[in-house]
Amino acid sequence: MGADKGKKLKVAEKLEEKDSESIVEKLFVSVEKLQEIQDELETINEEASDKVLEVEQKFNEIRRPVYDKRTEIIKSIPDFWLTAFLSHPALGDLLTEEDQKIFKHLSSLEVEDFKDVKSGYSITLHFNLNPYFEDTKLTKTFTYADDDGTTKITATSIKWKEGMGIPNGVNHEKKGNKRPASDESFFSWFTDTQEKDHSDIHDEIAEIIKEDLWPNPLTYFNNDADEEDFDEEGTVEEGKDGDDSEEDEDDQEDDDDEDGGEEDGK
Amino acid sequence: MVADKGKKSKVAEMAEEADSDPIDGDLVLSVEKLQEVQDELEKVNEEASDKVLEVEQKYNEIRRPVYIRRNEIIKTIPDFWLTAFLSHPALCDLLSEEDQKIFKYIKSLDVEDFSDVASGYSITFNVDENPYFEETKLTKTFTFYDEGTTKITGTNIKWKEGTAASNGVNHVKKGNKRPLAEESFFSWFSETHQKDVAELHDEIAELIKEDLWPNPLKYFNNEADEEDSDDDADDEEENGDDDEQDDVEDSD
Repeated sequence: MGADKGKKLKVAEKLEEKDSESIVEKLFVSVEKLQEIQDELETINEEASDKVLEVEQKFNEIRRPVYDKRTEIIKSIPDFWLTAFLSHPALGDLLTEEDQKIFKHLSSLEVEDFKDVKSGYSITLHFNLNPYFEDTKLTKTFTYADDDGTTKITATSIKWKEGMGIPNGVNHEKKGNKRPASDESFFSWFTDTQEKDHSDIHDEIAEIIKEDLWPNPLTYFNNDADEEDFDEEGTVEEGKDGDDSEEDEDDQEDDDDEDGGEEDGK
Repeated sequence: MVADKGKKSKVAEMAEEADSDPIDGDLVLSVEKLQEVQDELEKVNEEASDKVLEVEQKYNEIRRPVYIRRNEIIKTIPDFWLTAFLSHPALCDLLSEEDQKIFKYIKSLDVEDFSDVASGYSITFNVDENPYFEETKLTKTFTFYDEGTTKITGTNIKWKEGTAASNGVNHVKKGNKRPLAEESFFSWFSETHQKDVAELHDEIAELIKEDLWPNPLKYFNNEADEEDSDDDADDEEENGDDDEQDDVEDSD
């Protein structure tokens, strides 16, 4: 009968609707369960980050007195930081003639993380009394804001003595210097304090000092000294500059210094 | 690095000079002490690295069963990985017409670090039997060596006859809402050139491992949100459905 057929169709339709509804329902349930798992993973990842941070904080505390000891030893090596800077492939180009003279008054350089490691760090240059500026301590500090990924930057405002540190001032670049002196003073780095967000270019100088120079400045100091020694002896010698700048801190054991220049047993 | 013959260490040089000059003697001593401190720092740093690695290994083990559970749930969501790929801003451009059809056969995606975490990882697509290739498991593996090189191995895909990928032809339909790749995504499995530190990393691998794998739901939802707002009136629109595929779908 027509009516029966009509009824059957309607029931079939209803069943189909129910089916597709329950398919959609099941889908929702699955996605919900998936979201729960993602939340669970989130929690695990946060815990992992916290634990890694703890390790870093702990080892930073262990390193601190070693760095202090190191600072004292470095004070007895004349022009240590100047030499290390000048033989660093990137930093060397940043020092003007005048900067190099100023660096002779540098008594120590310090890089220090904030205690919790993650919220920032500072780089400090300690100076003896000198004819260039009043300050005995120049510091640049980077503070990471958690929530928005911005970095606040503060730096010592240098109190230059008269006639010193003039930006476009007369810089008598000696001809025939073996290193090209920069035109802009390295110390202008202390006036660059614009806030950065995560997409901005990082403060490259800060990163180089913190990540590259600070962990092992001796490699750079040694580089330069080797060059000069061999220049004096008239021996043609390749500096290790290129090699060292590519190596990790961990590879410093490759330095020849310890075994009298013979090939390492590595 | 091979030390040049006849090259003396700075300290040995200084020591020689020091014999003649007492002031330099102090300098030599200072530099030696400095080297000792650097060696001490080196040890501390290595210990720190080891401890950090331990933490990462531990948490990788904790995550593993969660990922396995997650895989089971994902299997109940049709076309999950296809949808996630298509709504990832970079990965979506990698799928050709044919790839999108192939992705419908993907059962699961798995990213797994080697158990020590540091020495490498693999990305695996588990695939149902399909008309495109013989394999049911496609894996690409990255092994990191100490000296900085990476060994890469990938499943050699045996394409069936008549597939676009086997013919090297890909018919890009005009008017598609997404620009389609001409080359198959799956050619990624045969890109196994040795890479060293200086070369570009395998970007696709990094995207999958670091971006998609940790939270693919985020991308899957993006797509769902997009479609919902496109078709408010249509209740039946499911996440996985793409208009392009309806024509070519085989009905069961």
